[in-house]
Amino acid sequence: MSLVVRRYAPQAIVTIIILLTVMFFYFYVNPETSEAFSRADKALSDWVVVITSFALIVGGIDILRFHLVRMRKEGLRQAPFSAVTISLLVLMVLFALHGWYLSYADPAAGIAITTQPQFRWLYLNVYAPADAAVYSILVFYMASASYRAFRVRNPMALLLLVVALIVIFGNTTVGGLLWPGFLSLRDWVMTVPNTAAFRPITIGAGLGIIILGLRLLTWREVSWMGRRE
Amino acid sequence: MITWEVFGAWLSAAMVVWIYSFAYRDNALYKLAEHMFVGTAAGYSIALALDSLNRVVVAPAVRSPETFWAASWHYVIPVVLGVLMFAKYSRKYYWLARYAVAVNIAVGSGLALRTAPIANIVRQVTATILPLWGSDPVKVLNNWILVLVTLGGLTYFLFTIFPRRVEGARPSPAYWVYRSLYYIGIYGMMVGFGALFANTIMTRVGFLISIYLIYIQPEAWASIVAAVLAAVAIILGILRKR
Amino acid sequence: MSEMSALRSLEKVLGSKELLYTLLLLSVILPILHPLGIPVEISKRTLDVYEYVDKKLPPGCHVYIEVYYEVAARGELEPNLIALTKHLFDKGCKIVYGSLSAFGVVAFSLFKTMAADLFEDKVYGRDYVYLGYIAGSEAATASLARSIRGTISVDNYGNRLEDLPLMREVDKATDFDLVIIVSSGTDVFAYYVRQWHTPYGVPLLFAALSVIGPSIEPFVGAGQAIGMLVGQRSAAEYEVLVGRLGLGIASMDAQSTSHMLIVAFIAIGNAIYWSKRVSSQRGGSK
Repeated sequence: MSLVVRRYAPQAIVTIIILLTVMFFYFYVNPETSEAFSRADKALSDWVVVITSFALIVGGIDILRFHLVRMRKEGLRQAPFSAVTISLLVLMVLFALHGWYLSYADPAAGIAITTQPQFRWLYLNVYAPADAAVYSILVFYMASASYRAFRVRNPMALLLLVVALIVIFGNTTVGGLLWPGFLSLRDWVMTVPNTAAFRPITIGAGLGIIILGLRLLTWREVSWMGRRE
Repeated sequence: MITWEVFGAWLSAAMVVWIYSFAYRDNALYKLAEHMFVGTAAGYSIALALDSLNRVVVAPAVRSPETFWAASWHYVIPVVLGVLMFAKYSRKYYWLARYAVAVNIAVGSGLALRTAPIANIVRQVTATILPLWGSDPVKVLNNWILVLVTLGGLTYFLFTIFPRRVEGARPSPAYWVYRSLYYIGIYGMMVGFGALFANTIMTRVGFLISIYLIYIQPEAWASIVAAVLAAVAIILGILRKR
Repeated sequence: MSEMSALRSLEKVLGSKELLYTLLLLSVILPILHPLGIPVEISKRTLDVYEYVDKKLPPGCHVYIEVYYEVAARGELEPNLIALTKHLFDKGCKIVYGSLSAFGVVAFSLFKTMAADLFEDKVYGRDYVYLGYIAGSEAATASLARSIRGTISVDNYGNRLEDLPLMREVDKATDFDLVIIVSSGTDVFAYYVRQWHTPYGVPLLFAALSVIGPSIEPFVGAGQAIGMLVGQRSAAEYEVLVGRLGLGIASMDAQSTSHMLIVAFIAIGNAIYWSKRVSSQRGGSK
């Protein structure tokens, strides 16, 4: 019994929903059924919108738990930093809740969660620049790697380098000064050989989606269930 | 006068400089900025999840309850499923969260499954069925490249059934076709990766330029002070290790 | 032999990552402080997109714009978004913005601050609307395609969608004349191709980061999108076309110098590698 509710029932739900979503899209009986299918289909998509929101909250709480554990385990060296993370997390949520409260208590003020002033200050002045810097720091490693690791060892690497140079000169304005043809040559590279090179990957992605769907349908894909019993 | 706005601009510049300081060496100020980022990012994601939830379920339920309960009563189901997600923290009832995950991945997979065959496969295949003879030589050459490289790439990704060379025997024509397409595929992909490499530089440098223009240049003094502080933190870190 | 030793010492000097990083920073900062003023040519692909928006879209058209990029990607995507918005507003088009990613809300807020002049004479709710963040990725895309008001009832600022005049004019995918996806994620382009273009045939326009441009090129090649603007270069070109110069054009000189520096790094690295290889082969044959 316990295995039924723990494993088989969720897997059965997956199978039924996949079959339903495909059926809602492809099957046509008469206008009334089509209308009902369309409504049910939209309802299912909306359910995911709601559930994903809860999943994001769970993700945030996971980070909170992670830092609480680190504070306890790693002692004074880590504690102040984890405390910063935890307090900022809690502050952000409190400000958001304040904005949420105001949106109902005083709708005329026009303040919602994302426009709550303190919340906005924190995401514009802490989250935004840090996010930008974290993602862009890769530029340094890339510059260093092009000096240390980009070696023309064989014809394939030579082809890669030649194409890269064409696209680099096409992308930058300095390329236009050297030879005006770089821009159209880059466009040709992108629209002809590059499109052809990435087309099998696009087709492969499509096949991947079909295979994943079939694996879920036939209960072969179980990684989404988390821990095994 | 130092207003919150001015202080915010300084803090922004400092955050960028401290995170960049990691490229030179790990230090306490980088760690501080990193933890501030994680805290605000997690808080932000919880807040935005609440915001989405509010706009999808709570607002209609509170503002026009009659219409909500008549037309959207089924939202109760995902809300219950969503709450079940918190069961993952329980040792005994962790499996309850699977019901929510089941609905999520099934709908996601079902939605992708029904249009992917057309969008990712049929449309890509039909776009590759091109005339290989004609009066315009440039167009003909482009079509040959498109067809051969696409076929080559697909051949390269064949991992199940393909013609093999039997030792001692002469290779079959099928084998030669397979090998030729295989190499065309590899070289075609090298062209793609070359373009990707060049565009990666464009993006990464673009990120750096915009950060400089948006955060560092307007707050040059704050950035310099932050950089000096980061340098001190790096030196202190080195001294402490010794 | 002296060439060899010169190469060796160069290798030693460039071997320090601190020097490489500092050179890179300088190659970005110096041309911003002292612009070189290299002219920007317009590529045919950007021109095609411009012509499409200019000629094919009826005046007063409705456009949906997906704002899906994190703050880091501002430099590449925000200038595209600003230039496209200006072009659409100049034509009297009405725009509905939405975000399938949480960071889209920050991106939109920063975009509105940067392009405040464009919104000066525009009325919120009549000329443009920002729906805010909608969770659910591909499912949300599918749901919005059927009915926006049926998915969310309130916009980002807490206004009821039914109270906004623009949202009474448009509700589902087929109500839009064009859908523009400004994104730093590869998946979201595929979501729109699968959930908006394939079932409803809505024309899509991609504005992508340079780094993901090549991988979504097959969709454009197969006619699933009317065109693509790729990163800062396209942004600079579009800024010139619509006559509002901004971050895109301001970055072009720095892009040129830093790219040349990286090309030089690759060239020096390979020169050292090959000279070592040739000399070791010579040594081996002796």
